[in-house]
Amino acid sequence: MIEDEELITDDNIARVKDLLVCMEKGHEEEAIEIIDELTTIRETELYQDMGKLTRELHDAISNFGVDDSISIMAEKSIPDARERLNYVISKTDEAANSTLEAIEESIPICDNLNDQASELHTSWQKFTNRELSADEFRALSKNIEAFFTKTQDMGTVKDHLTAILLAQEYQDLTGQIIKKVINLVGEVEDKLIGLIQITGAPQVDESKAKDDAAELDGPPVPGLAHKDTVSGQDEVDDLLSSLGF
Amino acid sequence: MKILVVDDFSTMRRIIKNLLRDLGFNNTSEADDGLTALPMLKSGDFDLLVTDWNMPGMQGIDLLKAVRADENLQNIPVLMVTAEQKKEQIVEAAQAGVNGYIVKPFTALILKEKLEKIFARIN
Repeated sequence: MIEDEELITDDNIARVKDLLVCMEKGHEEEAIEIIDELTTIRETELYQDMGKLTRELHDAISNFGVDDSISIMAEKSIPDARERLNYVISKTDEAANSTLEAIEESIPICDNLNDQASELHTSWQKFTNRELSADEFRALSKNIEAFFTKTQDMGTVKDHLTAILLAQEYQDLTGQIIKKVINLVGEVEDKLIGLIQITGAPQVDESKAKDDAAELDGPPVPGLAHKDTVSGQDEVDDLLSSLGF
Repeated sequence: MKILVVDDFSTMRRIIKNLLRDLGFNNTSEADDGLTALPMLKSGDFDLLVTDWNMPGMQGIDLLKAVRADENLQNIPVLMVTAEQKKEQIVEAAQAGVNGYIVKPFTALILKEKLEKIFARIN
């Protein structure tokens, strides 16, 4: 808007005084000239103000598009994020499988050694109690010898443990990837809020915002509100026993 | 004791199978959802069904209902192992005739307890 200070200047006061003098004296042409002059001044200021407003509006609109981040997000960042998350799934899958494999191969070795050790223990106790015959003692010595050979399998178990150790690297890699995606989600959130502010926020439809009772929630996440859920096995057991289980 | 383990994630099936083996159950088979599991149940003489809830194709709750509706299968004990923790869903599973409900993540001890409870009821 045009400020009063800009209108009431010494020049303008002089013009108005001139105008009054001209009118009192009946100098119509000169009076019209002065009025035209004043109108021009006023219009110029009005145009300048409108120009300023237009430029501000233009800047506001183009700031949204100029940093064409929204289209970059839609065309590049979000598909990239999808790829990244798929990679996280395959990485965690790989880690879980190689860990399980190492464990599945180690368990029989441990079971075997454990069984042999407890057999030896029984025989050894008989030996210390002097309950072992000479033949049985020879068998025991052989078994001990065989057991020592068998303990070399512990090398395999150790290799498997190292494999399990290395498989945990997925945590670092996937953690970094997920952090990037979290940042992107934050950026998208900011842009959406900006967009909502420009277009005027519509009222939130409560019925749509409410979570659907029939929908499966999946694993509960600490820190997020979960209505009508149990937390942990104890509460499941309590609920079931209250139902007569 | 023949057990069918149903879960869409192979790692979870593998974990459950290993835990079951540790408890002395060596005869286990796997299916990745209800649609695959149901024909297996119908053709094999399974003694126990361990199933997830949220799976593509046919969900665990629908598999449970299908088992209870089938006169040849209706007496098979069903243990649900799932991440779903809504009260409403636990009640739904109970009403559908589930024999045990374990929430993920779970421990070997909890699996052992629930299985013992199920078998104690049957005997």
